[in-house]
Amino acid sequence: MKSLIMGNEAVACGALKAGMTFFAAYPITPASEIMHELADREPEIAFVHAEDEIASIHMAIGASLAGRKAMTSTSGPGMSLKQEGIGLAHMMEVPLVVVDVQRVGPSTGMPTLPAQGDILQAAHGSHGDYLPIVLSPASVEECYRYTIEAFNAAEESRSPVILLLDGYLAHLQETVDLDAIPVAVRPRTLAPLGQGRRHFTGLLAKDGVPRTKDTAYYREWYAGMKARMLEAAAHYRFYDYQKNPSSDTLIVAFGITHRVVSHLRESYSLFKPVRMFPVLEDELRAAAAEHAKIVVVEMNDGQYRGEIQKILRREVLGVSVLGGTISLKEIREQLRGL
Amino acid sequence: MDYKDYIKWERMPTTWCPGCAIGTIFKQTAFALADLGLPAEELTVVSGIGCSGRAAGYFNVDSVHATHGRAIPVAEGIKRANPRLKVIVFSGDGDLVGIGGNHLLHAGRRDIDLAVICVNNGIYGMTGGQMAPTTPAGEKTLTSPHGSAYAPLNIQGIITSNRRHWFARASTFHVAHLQRVIREAVERPGFAFVEVMAFCIENFGRRLGFKSGHEMLTTLKTGYKLRPGTEGLLGDGELGVVKHDS
Repeated sequence: MKSLIMGNEAVACGALKAGMTFFAAYPITPASEIMHELADREPEIAFVHAEDEIASIHMAIGASLAGRKAMTSTSGPGMSLKQEGIGLAHMMEVPLVVVDVQRVGPSTGMPTLPAQGDILQAAHGSHGDYLPIVLSPASVEECYRYTIEAFNAAEESRSPVILLLDGYLAHLQETVDLDAIPVAVRPRTLAPLGQGRRHFTGLLAKDGVPRTKDTAYYREWYAGMKARMLEAAAHYRFYDYQKNPSSDTLIVAFGITHRVVSHLRESYSLFKPVRMFPVLEDELRAAAAEHAKIVVVEMNDGQYRGEIQKILRREVLGVSVLGGTISLKEIREQLRGL
Repeated sequence: MDYKDYIKWERMPTTWCPGCAIGTIFKQTAFALADLGLPAEELTVVSGIGCSGRAAGYFNVDSVHATHGRAIPVAEGIKRANPRLKVIVFSGDGDLVGIGGNHLLHAGRRDIDLAVICVNNGIYGMTGGQMAPTTPAGEKTLTSPHGSAYAPLNIQGIITSNRRHWFARASTFHVAHLQRVIREAVERPGFAFVEVMAFCIENFGRRLGFKSGHEMLTTLKTGYKLRPGTEGLLGDGELGVVKHDS
């Protein structure tokens, strides 16, 4: 049945559809509706309004280890705090979904106008080297669909998967028939705690035994982790490419920004990455090869543009929509000025 | 069950220094678990970071070695996800009441069913001997070279500020009592906190003039007395249990 729902509600519905049975979070605008939607679902799920952002991600890690699909949600200021848990979950190989509804930062910034400024934080926010899977939906329907896929990717990669929304999309209301969206759900992969004598640690460890001074083993472990992440990510190549044969310019945009620039499809080719990280190298290279100019339109000062430039090894132009207000008119003017 | 079944012997020797207090508390915990006859499949031990944080890996049950200060929220997530598991937190004072202090306040308030064993040696030992929130006033450490200017944190006060509470203070010297209160803490439904007065010879005691771990142990013998009953708060030199069940 069709109903009018907002992005945040669709995330909650997607999580339930994916089999999430543990949710912990701390209130923060513009992410709180995810919490509200899940607060009254016990005993179907375990719900904790935690004392802080750090507690909520660590509770989700504990619950995931104990056998439940788990999620936490937040916005930029909370995402900064959750980085500690994200690193731990990568090291301990714990499946988990972390939702970040982006707002203008740094710090408290412009509460709570939307932004897309947490792109690099999503990829590199915790210390050390790791390769997260990051998804960015661009509609209410996609919020639902890609929340489920985020859980699938988390199970397959045994890692915390990040779902990036922005304040616009989170509060955007659209008419959607969620039941008509077919998405397969992956079962749990990790055997729950209470099975025996395993040791999970944030230290570099082999078979539960710390190997903290073993450089050769670190390199071996890192190569294995990288291969595992890339192999899992290969099954989640979500993007949309609309080629406009009459245009020599390719616009790359994601999330709400893609929604806005999609009105320019008569004038430009459009590429919407949903899987933001690992960056869709082959797909972007192929699309870029057909165009003289590449422009990334994003609500930050060129964070994703830098990533794409690194991969394409050619000049990539950018339109930065800063300060929380986005308009097609402004983007069109900036595009003309390039 | 034998206490030996709860220890990963292949991981011995431990990382702990000769003369360290943690081994005694670790072993008494194993004795208490054996006494309760808890099968490994019904147990999970969670630690944070620090010398005591290494304990999780030495227990022969499923265990989690979390980040600094986060043993309690990880344990709470485990317990809420699978209430059939007995979840034990074994960590240090810096971890549980320093960097993890906010979680201690709130897990206690929520009365989540965890047994928390806190090795209180009054110092950050693993990082070389810096002032902890539990360092006694006036004592010199690397970060309080003229003596700590502050009174140590009142852990008993924090736990007992919740109407329903269970708090025990034990010591590394009084091992029979230590084992008994750990057993009670594991059995007690709800949040149970055991503060174990311990010591660190290498990164604390030597700077204060103690010659050996045994000499520090002796100060626990002379400095603490067992208090019978559970009425009223424990005095500074008292070991025992404080509880309120409704």
